[in-house]
Amino acid sequence: MLIELLTKRYPGMRLWLAQRLSAVYMAAYLLLLALLVLIKQPQAYQGWHTLMSAWWWRVLTLLFFVALIMHAWLGVRDVFKDYIFNLRLRAVLQVLVDVLLVLYLGWAVKILWSI
Amino acid sequence: MDKQNRPKNLNLFTIRLPINAIVSIMHRMSGMALFLMIPALLWALNASVQSAQTYVDLNLVLQHWLVKLLLIALLWAFFHHFYAGLRHLAMDVHWMTTLQKARLSSRLVLVLVAISVILFAVKIW
Repeated sequence: MLIELLTKRYPGMRLWLAQRLSAVYMAAYLLLLALLVLIKQPQAYQGWHTLMSAWWWRVLTLLFFVALIMHAWLGVRDVFKDYIFNLRLRAVLQVLVDVLLVLYLGWAVKILWSI
Repeated sequence: MDKQNRPKNLNLFTIRLPINAIVSIMHRMSGMALFLMIPALLWALNASVQSAQTYVDLNLVLQHWLVKLLLIALLWAFFHHFYAGLRHLAMDVHWMTTLQKARLSSRLVLVLVAISVILFAVKIW
C-alpha cells in the first residue's frame, strides 16, 4: 500500500514521507545527544570537543543537518503555498529560502569538518 | 443557495479556534520560528567547538538574562514543535484520531510543553 503510493504517480507522497522520516531521525538524534550528555557529563571545552569530534558522531550530526534542511524546506514550502497567493512573490521568497538552506548546509559541513 | 453567495465568516475576532486548531497553528508558527533560528544554532555550534576561547565566549553570551529569555522562547518553540509533531506522527499511523482523543492528545501536548519549558527555565536560571 505504502510502496504503491511512493511510485511516480503520487510524487507528493515521497515529500510527505521525507518530512516524516526526517522528523523521526531528528527526534532520535536529539534523544541520543541528550543521553550522551547525561552519561558522559562532558566537562568544559575539552569534554564537549571530545564528544562532538568522534567521526561517527560527526556523520550522525551531518545527517541531522541534512534532515533539518530537508524538513525546513518542506515545511516552509507548505506555509508559503498556504499563505502567499501572489505567485511571483511566492517564487521569489521560495528561491531565497532555497539559497539560504543550501548555504546553511554548507556552513554545517564546514563546521563539522573543521572540528 | 448558489456558490457565489454562500455566507462566510472569516472575522478573526469572532472565530473561536478549537484546541486542536490552536495546537496545529502553533506547530506551524513554532516551525517557522525554528527555521528562522537555524543560523543562530549554527553560529552557536561553531563557537562551541572551534576553540576553548570561543567556547568560553559563548558561555558568557548565554549567561546574559536577555539571551536566557530568548533561549526560553526558542525552547518553547522547540518543545511545542517536538510534541505536536509526535502527535501528528501518531495520527499518521491512526492513533488517537477520534475527536475526543484528538482533544485529549492536544491537551497532553500543551501540558508536556509547559512542563518541559518550566523545567528548562528553572535549570538555566
